[in-house]
Amino acid sequence: MAISRRAMLRRLAWAGAGLTVVAGTTYAYALFPALPHRGAPRLQEAAAWLRLTPEGRIQLALPRTEMGQGIAIALRQIVAEETGFPLDRIDAIQPRTDLIPATRATVGSDSIKDYGPLLARAAAALARTLSKEGSVEGAPPRDGWARLATRPRLVEADNMAGVRGRSFDRRVPKRAVGMPVVTDDVRAIVTGSAPLFADDVRLPDMAHGAALPPPRIGAALEAVDDIAARDVDGYLGLWRNGHGTFVAAETRGALERSLAAMQPTWTGGAATLEHIEEAIDIDSGLARGALEHEPLNAAIDDSRPFDLDLRLDVPMAAHAAMEPQTAVARFTDGKLEVWTGTQDVTFVRSVLSDELSLSPNDIVVYGCRVGGGFGLKTICTVELEAAVLSRSLGRPAKVQWTRLDAFRRSFHRPPSSHRIRARISPDGRIDTWHHAYRSGHVIFTSAAMGPALQWATSFVGDPGVLRGAIPPYDALTTRVEYEDVRLPVHTGPWRGLGAAPNVWAIETAIDQLARRRGDDPLAFRKRNIKSEWPRLARALDRVAAISNWGALRSTAYRGYGLACGIYKEMSYAAVVAEVVRDGAGYRVTRLWCAHDCGFIVNPDQVHAQVEGNLVWCIGMALTESLGISDGHVSATSFADYAVARFSDVPPMTVDLIDEGEPASGAGETAIVAGTAAITNAISAMAGRPVTRIPLAATMA
Amino acid sequence: MRFTLNGTAADIPAVFADDRLLWLLRDHFALNGPKYGCGVGTCGACVVHVDGRPERACLLPASEVAGKAVTTIEGLGIGWPEGLHPIQKAWIESGVPQCGYCQSGQVMTAAGLLAENPQAGAEEIAATMDGVICRCGTYVRIRGAIDAAREALRGRS
Repeated sequence: MAISRRAMLRRLAWAGAGLTVVAGTTYAYALFPALPHRGAPRLQEAAAWLRLTPEGRIQLALPRTEMGQGIAIALRQIVAEETGFPLDRIDAIQPRTDLIPATRATVGSDSIKDYGPLLARAAAALARTLSKEGSVEGAPPRDGWARLATRPRLVEADNMAGVRGRSFDRRVPKRAVGMPVVTDDVRAIVTGSAPLFADDVRLPDMAHGAALPPPRIGAALEAVDDIAARDVDGYLGLWRNGHGTFVAAETRGALERSLAAMQPTWTGGAATLEHIEEAIDIDSGLARGALEHEPLNAAIDDSRPFDLDLRLDVPMAAHAAMEPQTAVARFTDGKLEVWTGTQDVTFVRSVLSDELSLSPNDIVVYGCRVGGGFGLKTICTVELEAAVLSRSLGRPAKVQWTRLDAFRRSFHRPPSSHRIRARISPDGRIDTWHHAYRSGHVIFTSAAMGPALQWATSFVGDPGVLRGAIPPYDALTTRVEYEDVRLPVHTGPWRGLGAAPNVWAIETAIDQLARRRGDDPLAFRKRNIKSEWPRLARALDRVAAISNWGALRSTAYRGYGLACGIYKEMSYAAVVAEVVRDGAGYRVTRLWCAHDCGFIVNPDQVHAQVEGNLVWCIGMALTESLGISDGHVSATSFADYAVARFSDVPPMTVDLIDEGEPASGAGETAIVAGTAAITNAISAMAGRPVTRIPLAATMA
Repeated sequence: MRFTLNGTAADIPAVFADDRLLWLLRDHFALNGPKYGCGVGTCGACVVHVDGRPERACLLPASEVAGKAVTTIEGLGIGWPEGLHPIQKAWIESGVPQCGYCQSGQVMTAAGLLAENPQAGAEEIAATMDGVICRCGTYVRIRGAIDAAREALRGRS
């Protein structure tokens, strides 16, 4: 290549957008030139998150989406801590493009780390202004709230300059931060008393619509005959335009009947599982020489035998959020409003603006509570469908994907295949570590970017695929290489991104190295962890203590497994799993987890995130796999995509470590350790490694 | 066609009679509780009570509930202190929900089970609750909340 990758990107004017940052936190959406500032939040933005109402309440316009991770309550606690207002006088409003400046997608478990301290400063500045006006600790000023509430600039970037706030200052005794408060809106959730989700939005004269779903990935619509649908009561019509083919009806029942009556003819599209498995096969990739990306590029001496040489395989997996993608759109005098459960209101507005040739100022995106995100609701899909349909109809429109749509039209965790080869020195230290793998895309995915950007990004490694692949263990020689492969199915970010499969592969190999030497897996890990990761070693010690690891003995019927991992070089988890044989399969009967995300704002919510991640690990290890048949994802419902259920989940003991380090993140941390702990327990029982997940697929 | 919805007599409009009960409840009666999760009875997000028994509102035609009593989570707490059934109270106190989307189905399923068998044991609870999926993974807390509600109900009887 005549010019360097960096020069190429500079020429394309995207270098400044962070494209050349390969390790870590870049998101595809940050690449789109049309997007406004999408870096870390800034002081002047934080000022816009807080308002005072004439009733003496604080409105917190959330810069982060509540999707079950508890961010709304945690940020409210920070405001309560700073202002002295009680929690029940601080209202959180889901992200709305008309209330807050452009904000980043709620991804990557960085809300508390990146937004918490800034919010603390803004709230402290608000408290300072209130105090000057005679309102201390939430008490009204002498002349009441009305005058203060109408005063502009209660919080300004300049009066935040010298303010740090108390929320994250460990020396200050706390009144709200650190309390185990349950999630926002819990009463509405268990009584149905208030609209929370996008499907709870009902507008006058609203129609229901759907895009005609293709029967195969990549199929194109040749023709469609709606003659039979015209007999359906409530059928409103069929629209074909550059965005797709849409059907609308007065009610959802009429919509279902109309869709069933459509007679479409499709051509093309033929994704097969064989193609995909071939495309990511690591051994055929290695046979052609070094892989495209070499984040650690030491040369490996192939002439000496390896103590371990493992091929490991991870399938595609679905997010399977309980809420399918749902949006409501309304045009009024050329202005567009959209209600949607999205992880990224800013990106949705940007795409709508581009696609519909509307000024961003003429679009408002109202974020609703998200019924499960996990990386799925980061792109603009159903929102555009609802907007296009609403414009065609001249009426408000709701589009809710069916579960079938959610399986067939969403992107998924990419499949990956790994080869790990290692040697151990006589003293029990790792001598050689070689991890090579191929995976579908995570961030530079075709679900998120058009062909031109796909071409441009083919020069750099997909940072989502890389996540978690650098081992925390020392070796004399370490080589990590990978290839991100464009697949004929849509793949993208799934909880933990590459860290979920990569750390599973690493921790499987590490466990095998220990066991083949007759070493204790705990001692082996601690001996080999790099000195720069003392918090990982501490997490191992803590999980060993709460599980009484030293006394646990695996048998042929009951196995104990250990694993650990680091998420985004900021959070740490170590897990011990107890697994028993259960009929032809296995059952997880106990889980212990030591979890370190530094400073904890709300221990109940962090605990809940650990629980949820460990439940995902059970599914990932034992049952979750998405196949392809007849040119599309074969799962159609929860009957044929098996996520963990009530009786799959054992008692859990969670030890939250909070001993002086700054806040990091909890939303995707435990997923890096739990899966391998479970499969390592099975390996201990079976006497051979689990090299392919999920176990159910191996046994079938 | 008439039926009883959360204790009040109501009509099933002809336009909804052939639809899923779920659409009648969500779109005609504007109830937020029962959710669409899969449409084919595999997730349990839409569970409501029909004559006191848990049913999947996505599978039942609206006309099937004519003459019957339907209770959604909006009506579950009627007659209980603070308007909260002991199951709802336990759900709040245990901080069960994460995203919350499935929880109406979880609560209605658990309430139906304890109404039928207040002494339901661990196995019966597991067999019943296995029919309702929570992707956030709140199962440990669901188990705890059901145990707490069972104790509360026992205390009352």
